Amino acid sequence: MLWGEIGAVLLVLATLFIAGHLWFHIVEGVLAGLKRLVFSRQQPPAWHPLPPDGDDAPKKEP
Amino acid sequence: MGLFSKLFKGPEVDQAKSDANRETMRTLFNQVVDDGDSYRLIFGYTEDVSRFNYGLVHGSKTKIGSLIVGWNEDSGTIVVVPTVPDLSGCGDPVYYRRSEIHKAYRNKYPTDAFIIYPDRNGYIGIHAYDWLEDESLYVYVSQPEELSAFTHFFMTQFKTK
Repeated sequence: MLWGEIGAVLLVLATLFIAGHLWFHIVEGVLAGLKRLVFSRQQPPAWHPLPPDGDDAPKKEP
Repeated sequence: MGLFSKLFKGPEVDQAKSDANRETMRTLFNQVVDDGDSYRLIFGYTEDVSRFNYGLVHGSKTKIGSLIVGWNEDSGTIVVVPTVPDLSGCGDPVYYRRSEIHKAYRNKYPTDAFIIYPDRNGYIGIHAYDWLEDESLYVYVSQPEELSAFTHFFMTQFKTK
């Protein structure tokens, strides 16, 4: 009986934990979607990729 | 004995990886900053901590932003270039000239950071350490000498109070 009660408590805690995580990700997803909608017209910040190495760089045809 | 001494010594720096990343930082920095070689470089990062309360769950989130920080002692300028931990690219540089900033100081609490206010409206807090092991969050580079030199420059030439 005791083991059953401990298991039930653990099950409730695990359910709360999973529900909390799900709720967090749902709200985060909604907020991210709203931000994308509101700020979609703004230009993304400039980004400069790392230039390829000398060996990896595409060689020009002579 | 050998095993225990290794365990107690803690993690060791992979110097080859650190040197390679230092070179990549220099390449990226020189790509976007004019006369980049006149600046010494250090890796730093910003921390953006925000609290959230979604009813069922509440807590705090921390966003880490990697930075290549260059400083020129002759011109009293700090240049900050945003980047990513794998150094695959970088953003546009931001210049903080000692003669133009509103104020700058070193913060010790709650975290050790170099704070620069370019004007009254905003600030940047630059955190820097001699080595951070977590490659998923920080650039893997060992920089005790650079950190010491940057701290000396900031405290003796750049800070305003």
